Amino acid sequence: MTLISLDLQSRNGKTLAKLDVDSEDTVGQLKKKFHAVNKKYYPARQRMTLPAKEGQKSGEVLKDSAKLSEYGLSSGSVVLFKDLGTQIDYSTVFFFEYFGPLVIYPLFFFLPQIFYPGQKALPLDQRPLVQKIAVAYWMFHYAKRIFETYFVHTFGHATMPIKNLFKNCSYYYGFAAFVAYFVNHPAYTAPDETLSLVCFALAMVCQFSNFRCHTILSNLRAPGETAYKIPSGFLFNYITCANYTAEIWGWILFTIGTHTIAAGLFTAAGAFQMAEWARGKHKRLQKLFDGKDGRQKYPKRWVMFPPLL
Amino acid sequence: MQQAVDIPLKISQSAALLEVVHSAIGLVKSPVAITAMQVASRIWCLWGIVVPCAATVIPQGLLTAGQQAALGLPGWANINFITLMTAWACSEVIRYGFFALKEAFGTPPYFATWLRYTAFMVLYPLGVSSELTMAWRALPDIKARGLFSSTLPNSWNWGFDYHLVCVLVMATYIPGLPQLYGYMLTQRKKVLGGGAAKPKAKAA
Repeated sequence: MTLISLDLQSRNGKTLAKLDVDSEDTVGQLKKKFHAVNKKYYPARQRMTLPAKEGQKSGEVLKDSAKLSEYGLSSGSVVLFKDLGTQIDYSTVFFFEYFGPLVIYPLFFFLPQIFYPGQKALPLDQRPLVQKIAVAYWMFHYAKRIFETYFVHTFGHATMPIKNLFKNCSYYYGFAAFVAYFVNHPAYTAPDETLSLVCFALAMVCQFSNFRCHTILSNLRAPGETAYKIPSGFLFNYITCANYTAEIWGWILFTIGTHTIAAGLFTAAGAFQMAEWARGKHKRLQKLFDGKDGRQKYPKRWVMFPPLL
Repeated sequence: MQQAVDIPLKISQSAALLEVVHSAIGLVKSPVAITAMQVASRIWCLWGIVVPCAATVIPQGLLTAGQQAALGLPGWANINFITLMTAWACSEVIRYGFFALKEAFGTPPYFATWLRYTAFMVLYPLGVSSELTMAWRALPDIKARGLFSSTLPNSWNWGFDYHLVCVLVMATYIPGLPQLYGYMLTQRKKVLGGGAAKPKAKAA
């Protein structure tokens, strides 16, 4: 047991605390000790890094599970602290993100008199079948997402900054209102009913495929494991982010089935964001599983959307 | 005047889209969002307001005061186009002049640097107020003509109210200008330093 004294500084060089810790303590324990000194900064709110080395822009981020000795920290060593801001659980963020669209969309369907003043809306039983299927599909999709948040997904990070909640919610709520406005409009022109039914049937196949992908990802790691694994089985044998493939095809079919540009814009925005994430994940997996030093070689796969990506 | 600057204006301002591309691909260090905001406002003002509503926002041939009065046009109608061109042209001449000198000499003369990081204090508000005035004057014409707008019903179930979009775009200038202005002030402080130079310590 080696007691060391660490100098915890803000990024502008101001000393925040001098903490006496054991060199065999983990970074997580160091964060708890700092929290005991400064109640405002609970562990999830803290990020600790080493000072930047020559030629580096920023220093190495200290992992919670790593021991302080692994970073070569000794008495008098400086550790830089960054306040990540108020944090919120991932599951809470996702709940609010998905609960909004689940409520907003049907409001346009059931209360046209509020959203389309001066327009003569048809009674529910006389509305085009497409509008009824679309509202059911939309609600099913977001109910499924909420279900997955609590019963399927496992989160690599426990929390995220609260400002992300407002950013993400405004995206989902805004698009929900935007799409709902046009699909449920009293002047809506319904496309061919057979085409719509086929599209929504295929879209439901995509929903279940997406769910299957999520369960595969969820079962990828044993409880407590954090290391990257190569997903396999079902569509993952061919595509790195097969869950995104199913998601995007679901929305493409929704767009064709409802024949609305608004839904197309929502699909495009989502696909663009998912493509960014998918490229990142694909590169990470390729880099990690390079086939060297006994490591697995990442198989040749599409990133997200064959044959384009 | 409008005829004289018409083609060069359209080419130079449209080519500014490349600035966003250069920023996005990392060719230059300027932040993508800020660059996109600056370029988008000009592109919108040019192609969304000045070009389609030229008859409304630019009195033909920049009329005399007497002609303007006869047509019932406000006295500042000519001034508006002139201030817009002044703000756009001066800011670009200063900026690209600075870049050219930087390329030629490695370190541009102090005067060019000072101008690059100071002229915006006058040119930004002038440009923004000119753009907003142009847009404000075009609004009745946009509404009357249903410019770029479409209404339901149609087969793709798409309605678009360009008049409303213009009002919303104008509203974004309210938070947008302080953000851009603040960014430029920060850049100025970084490059030119803030306040007066510190007095040198006297030798004992």
